Amino acid sequence: MPELERMLSRLGEELAWPETPDLSARVTSRLDEPAVRGERPARRPLGGLVGLRRTLVLAAAAMLLLAGTVFAAAPGVRDAVLDFLGLQGATVERREHLPTPPPERPLDLGTRMTLDEATERIAFAPLLPRALGEPDGVYVREGLPGGELSLAYRARPGLPRARSTRLGALVGEFRGDLSPEYLGKVVGPGTTVERLTVDGARAIWVEGAPHFLLYRDPDGLIVESSMRMAQNALLLEHGALLVRLEGAFDRERALAIARSLP
Amino acid sequence: MEDRPPHDEELVARAKRGERDAYEEIVRRHQQIAFRTAWVITGSAADAEEAAQDAFVKAHRALGRFREGAPLRPWLLTIVANEARNRVRAAGRRERLVLRVAEERRPGGAVPSPEAALLDFERRDELLAAVAALPENDRQAIACRYFLDLSEEETAAALGCPRGTVKSRLSRALGRLRERMEAADA
Repeated sequence: MPELERMLSRLGEELAWPETPDLSARVTSRLDEPAVRGERPARRPLGGLVGLRRTLVLAAAAMLLLAGTVFAAAPGVRDAVLDFLGLQGATVERREHLPTPPPERPLDLGTRMTLDEATERIAFAPLLPRALGEPDGVYVREGLPGGELSLAYRARPGLPRARSTRLGALVGEFRGDLSPEYLGKVVGPGTTVERLTVDGARAIWVEGAPHFLLYRDPDGLIVESSMRMAQNALLLEHGALLVRLEGAFDRERALAIARSLP
Repeated sequence: MEDRPPHDEELVARAKRGERDAYEEIVRRHQQIAFRTAWVITGSAADAEEAAQDAFVKAHRALGRFREGAPLRPWLLTIVANEARNRVRAAGRRERLVLRVAEERRPGGAVPSPEAALLDFERRDELLAAVAALPENDRQAIACRYFLDLSEEETAAALGCPRGTVKSRLSRALGRLRERMEAADA
């Protein structure tokens, strides 16, 4: 696609679209209305305002429900944890039921900067998977010991765009030894979780239905605003680091990317 | 992969048999593109909401006429766009479509997606201004095809014109944008 058309597509993703109201319940309630030719169905009072308010209330309710469910589902609390896997820096739990997905939010990876600036801010040497080439964006989040580095790669042939991140690949790195429970994944029955080793290092592959990705603060409490839905992901111990690869790629591609880490 | 969501085709078949939850799922699945398409046409979120809602109700009544195996989205968008244009006609005026970029930085330090952040801000603003300066028909074509990522067929459905017209309108609009961007560079 020529450059101008690519720019237009990207611009579309950045536009401030008005919030889409949830029409499903209202449409369903109107399905029995008699069809009268030429006559418009009665307008709802106050036009879009009611819908907007309702959407906001529903979104807030969904968040509350989600928070409650995830907290109630924390390890040690009575609920059906079907499986629990841990790496240095990350945990993966399988639950009988997955809570309602959180509302979509812009991806928050921290502050964007150059790789050189990032190297100064974080307490480890950044690892760039050779299989992915130069990252299109470098981000640092400083809320945890040692900092967290995120490398963003645009979608391109062979690296399809993931719905969860809108990127071809997202690589996250942090000191797993300093923040043992920083990253959490909560998966439901539709997700495959597989423990494997990559060149002798422990790893977990998560694939299938979208699952919850969340972060914990230094006290081990879930940071609610960090929760989002994620797609296929490989979690990998690499020396003192925990490396996370997320994308719409399959296991073989993820392993090839992981093996190309220096 | 387990729990694969049902295809539109399956949902349509179930909705035709009277299963309401299947139609509710169809609405949920397509309401965003329906609402945004209606917004591009009407320029008003309130009108777009009504147009999309009425369109889904009408589409349900028309499901019996929907050709089995045909793609659902262009068909739905045709109905949505008709409803949207009817509103513009009934009002005798069209609200100016205000396109703007989402806030760069939100409260709480959240940033837009990395993909979004990658676009050169200055070029982006120039492009947005160039799109805003296009004639109405051209702007709608650009908005449908690129901002909403509709296919040519869907863009034709949304604009209520043949595919050939969409092609020529897009090519004219892209030419105008290119000229403006080059003028801005000079």
